Amino acid sequence: MLTYILRRLGLAALITILAVTLLFLIIHMIPGDPVSTMLGPKASPELRAALEARMGLDKPLPVQIGLFFANMLRGDLGMDVFTNRPVTTIVLGQIPYTLVLILSSILWSAVLGIALGCYSAVNRNSLGDRLAGVLSVSVIAVPAFVVSLYSLLIFAVKLQWFPAIGAGEPGAWGDQFHHLILPSLAIGLSWVGYIARLVRASMLEVMGEGHVRTARAFGLPERWITYRYALRLAILPTVTVIGVGMGFLLSAAVFTEIVFSRPGLGKLVIDSITTRNYPVVMGSVLFSTLIFVASTTLADIINAILDPRIRAGK
Amino acid sequence: MTDTAIVLPRARSELGEILYHLVRDPLGLAGLIIVVAIVGSALLAPWIAPYDPVAMNIPDRLQGPNAAHLLGTDQIGRDTFSRVIWGGRVALKVALPTIAGAIVFGLLLGMIAGYGPKWLDSLIVLLFDTLRSFPTVMFALAVVALVGPSLNTVIFVIMVTSIPTYGRVVRTLTQSIKQSEFITAELSLGATVPRIMGIHILPNVLGPLAVLAAMDIPTVVGLEAGLSFLGMGVKPPTPSWGVLLSDGYALIRNTPWLIIAGGIPLILTTLGFTFLGEALRDVVDPKLRGKGGK
Repeated sequence: MLTYILRRLGLAALITILAVTLLFLIIHMIPGDPVSTMLGPKASPELRAALEARMGLDKPLPVQIGLFFANMLRGDLGMDVFTNRPVTTIVLGQIPYTLVLILSSILWSAVLGIALGCYSAVNRNSLGDRLAGVLSVSVIAVPAFVVSLYSLLIFAVKLQWFPAIGAGEPGAWGDQFHHLILPSLAIGLSWVGYIARLVRASMLEVMGEGHVRTARAFGLPERWITYRYALRLAILPTVTVIGVGMGFLLSAAVFTEIVFSRPGLGKLVIDSITTRNYPVVMGSVLFSTLIFVASTTLADIINAILDPRIRAGK
Repeated sequence: MTDTAIVLPRARSELGEILYHLVRDPLGLAGLIIVVAIVGSALLAPWIAPYDPVAMNIPDRLQGPNAAHLLGTDQIGRDTFSRVIWGGRVALKVALPTIAGAIVFGLLLGMIAGYGPKWLDSLIVLLFDTLRSFPTVMFALAVVALVGPSLNTVIFVIMVTSIPTYGRVVRTLTQSIKQSEFITAELSLGATVPRIMGIHILPNVLGPLAVLAAMDIPTVVGLEAGLSFLGMGVKPPTPSWGVLLSDGYALIRNTPWLIIAGGIPLILTTLGFTFLGEALRDVVDPKLRGKGGK
């Protein structure tokens, strides 16, 4: 078990290093440079040189990458161009908003999706199962920002049941929760369908396996078999999918934060692009990549703990 | 003695067979109709659209749906219905090259990984994992921040982040086909690697790839619209569905029609291609049933 975890963590570290290097290289290969982006085309040569030196852009590429990693390990991602505050502080200040949004979406969609998938698997081919199937497929791929816009239009602008803007007063839990409902609904909707279908498929698969048949032969009650044995294994793919889906959730959060004017990583990136605040853009992208890699790694490790087959099947 | 005529089922071509099964599945048929309608109206946009999608008409601004403007007009009086139809062209213009590129690179890398030596396989899988480790939208925004928003930027970014999806499927299929007995037989008869790749492996991976592509189109179209909505993709006045939604968002308290009109084609595209993809998957490979991709 420990070997598996260590190996998985090693792989995660390797992927992170490669991803950061790749990000760095792509930025250097594509036309356009951060200095012109930040200063505009009319900047004087002295000003350009000074900024280049401050950002380390005057050094050779391998040195730049090395410096970048060294600084990253110390938690230094450079300075905000305008306020001169450390990028790390700014990004870390926004991450909780995005994480709360994403985690609440996962939570409600997983609870509903697992229940729906369980129902479909137990009542296979019933009218309810078919209806759930069509509905699931229909909501799965509808872009989250379209759901965001429609729910903003219906529930915030027309019906005025929920606030349209912001994340609520800091410290006022009820108010913050009220502001969270619509965005969380918008991001989670497609996941309900997805998780429901996944749980249904894997439950049907598990129900046909040997250990379930044995349990049945021993005369264990059907209910016990369904929830104690089948569901436990059927949830495994869901854990993986949520881990891998973190990338989609982070992407969906960008749109939802813009639509509902909520603070968070996405809003920070868009605002920083508009104001050409280049270091903040890169810092946010870097942090979101780290969150993504960490969540896929975590999902794999949880899976290994829950399912002895993964550990043994190496 | 009378002649007994034996009626044999008419032999269908492979494509005919797929179509036959598709239209028998209600969802598959619905998907096919929606897809044909969307692609058809995008191709025929210059003839179908009642107005010029970028022509201003200030006196008629911000109208609701009426006989002259089926979906109303926007803040400078442009006809929303015409913009929706022309928006389909932008969506296809992004989706087709993006997916074609991702398939070509995915096929190439996937087949090399699946057939080649172990070290090369590990290297390519690591590359796939790395490319997948960027949240697509964040990665796109990082690139846009540098080169500025454009159609080509959107195509490039979505293509690069989609390659692993195709590559991994091709790799797995190649590995399993490689081990089948008929390949061993071919090899013992002296078949070359290019022959095995081209004649045996390629045709066998194309089916699943087509399914994957059909399911992937809504994702790509949605990403284009999303980036354009954020002002980081297609630039106004080009009529993209995302630009329409962005205009509608700015005017959400004046008129609901722009948002409604901009969202519907995206939802239809999603439904059409998803239904079609699911039905296609059941036809192409019944074993894959119920294992959708996200």
